[in-house]
Amino acid sequence: MSTPEEVQEQLAALRANYQIRLNSDLADLHQTALELSESLDDHVRLKTLRDGLHRIAGSAGSFGCASIGLRCRDYEQRTQMWLDSSATPEAVRMLELCQGLSVLKSELEQMTKGGEEASAADVDVPALDSPVRISLVGSESSEHRGIADALEGFGYAVTLDSNPKALAQGGARPDVVIAGYQSLDPELSALFEPKGAPALILLDRTDSFDRRLEAVRHHAKGYFVYPIDIPRLEARIRRLASRHTQDPYRVVIVDDDVELSEHFRLVLEGAGIDSRVVNEPSHIVAALRDHLPDILIVDINMPGCSGPELAQVLRLDDDWLKVPIIYLSAETDQDRRALAMRQAGDDFLAKPIGDGELVSAIKVRAQRSRQLSEALERDGLTGLMKHAALKEQLEIEVSRAQRMDAPASVVMIDIDRFKSINDTYGHATGDYVIRLLANLLRRRLRKLDTVGRYGGEEFVAILPNCSLKDAERIFNEIRLNFSQLDCVAGKESFRVSFSAGIAPIGPSSHGEQVLEAADQAMYEAKTGGRNQVRLAGSAD
Amino acid sequence: MTELKSILHVEDDPSIQAVARVALETVGGFEVTGCDDGQHALETLAGFKPDLILMDVMMPNLDGPSTLKRLQADPELSRIPVVFMTAKIQPAEVEEYRAIGAADVLEKPFDPMTLADRLKRIWEDVHVDP
Repeated sequence: MSTPEEVQEQLAALRANYQIRLNSDLADLHQTALELSESLDDHVRLKTLRDGLHRIAGSAGSFGCASIGLRCRDYEQRTQMWLDSSATPEAVRMLELCQGLSVLKSELEQMTKGGEEASAADVDVPALDSPVRISLVGSESSEHRGIADALEGFGYAVTLDSNPKALAQGGARPDVVIAGYQSLDPELSALFEPKGAPALILLDRTDSFDRRLEAVRHHAKGYFVYPIDIPRLEARIRRLASRHTQDPYRVVIVDDDVELSEHFRLVLEGAGIDSRVVNEPSHIVAALRDHLPDILIVDINMPGCSGPELAQVLRLDDDWLKVPIIYLSAETDQDRRALAMRQAGDDFLAKPIGDGELVSAIKVRAQRSRQLSEALERDGLTGLMKHAALKEQLEIEVSRAQRMDAPASVVMIDIDRFKSINDTYGHATGDYVIRLLANLLRRRLRKLDTVGRYGGEEFVAILPNCSLKDAERIFNEIRLNFSQLDCVAGKESFRVSFSAGIAPIGPSSHGEQVLEAADQAMYEAKTGGRNQVRLAGSAD
Repeated sequence: MTELKSILHVEDDPSIQAVARVALETVGGFEVTGCDDGQHALETLAGFKPDLILMDVMMPNLDGPSTLKRLQADPELSRIPVVFMTAKIQPAEVEEYRAIGAADVLEKPFDPMTLADRLKRIWEDVHVDP
């Protein structure tokens, strides 16, 4: 049985961790409320706000933040009232709530003053200026030609090279080499070993952990199994030159020591980090698909597959490229540590490790990832323009259309029942659907059109020199096309649709108005049964 | 009367789960098993029969009241008293949970130093009333 001092100590540790999470939760809620003040009838977002406030109201008091909890309860009641009455709240009330949340956040910061300060991330983000050059090597010509065509559609410069040895000789060196598994030989794979060498993506007919492991040993940076999923391949290629981050704090721990890994899980869970344990390295892929961690903690010495090897296996797949890998090891030999770090992986933690040290190491990493994502203007998931940049572009297009007295249309697109996709198949599949639509839009729209990711599952397209009627025709085609694509989630496949609303840019309209009109039309498409395109001002 | 020894705690918020573990295990000396939603709880209950179930009301997948309904359908599990924990404010809802068969309803946030005692008192009440 623990002494009262020990109990207090444990509670104090939990309290400290909770307060760190509370700080970021308050920031998120503040952001949500801010966004709501601009779109007051967004019930989904209003519910998110209510649920977040509810959670704090029910928990803060157990962690020594009773006054914050009470005020969140007050705010929760207010949002509940708005939800119940289904009367749209006034913008000014929402902004009050917003202010209240930032006051709570600064109070909390006062309370926890002296906490860690995350230094600005010093991360090298490679730019994607000139088109990426891709070389397809090997002889499976008809399939390869199909892949080449599809990739060219995404704007890549693709060449078909039947002789892989040609890569060794000068000329314009490709950025990415895509090769069949059969064309691999030690001579070829040696080309991909040096730093700065082209990135190798392997295509294979059979999928097994062993084959993936072998691919890693041949310096591959990507691995795909026939039939090739083009959107994923394209995303992989794009990601080989950029970095991508995701919001929530999730961790997967890979360690063959069952008790120790469970202990780490409990410690991290206690700090508000959603953690999962994998005791058998070959089960890692399923766990990652399922959990989509922000950080991966890997034991370095495991039977069958070493930590660095496992790390490299994971580096073959796009979804996990962004995941910082932290090695855990009792290894004290500096050379062997350095070797492990060079092979893959981002950090090293020495065993035994204190709980506090573990938590702060993980938190700092997660924080940096977020800073990085905010620094990137392009949406990491789709490579499309983000909200802010999109709005700027809209203003430009509006004034251009008015100056030239030319028709132009703005389209608001929202994936139907997206939440249920996430709930049913997991966030990885949700992300996949978003990418699928992003790629389709990019492919089907003209170069002069703008397409961006407006929010979670919302997209906006700006079509200059395009009448309302033409826009309707184009988007009905895209809609039909999208609704017939088979989406894959594990062994299951399913279909998704979107609803769209289109508004014209009039001779005296403002960007905001046009966007609102398109949004309203999109809303009508939703209430009219989804999977349809509606024009602004044509409610029927 | 048997003593309250083991508790199944069902709660989706990991912070609450952690503080409840300290409150129940360390302070109260109970044997505690944690689950993060109703579905998970039902799976756990197939192999483990606690003396009492402490359960959050709002949870993803399967919420508290729906889980309680499933428990009541099983003759063996229906004997285990269920205590709800909720940050709901309306007294009407508290009454509603009692009406559908909750042994008691505790309000969130809870004080980690007294939670174990409160559960012990509820346990005693349940066993005074046959």
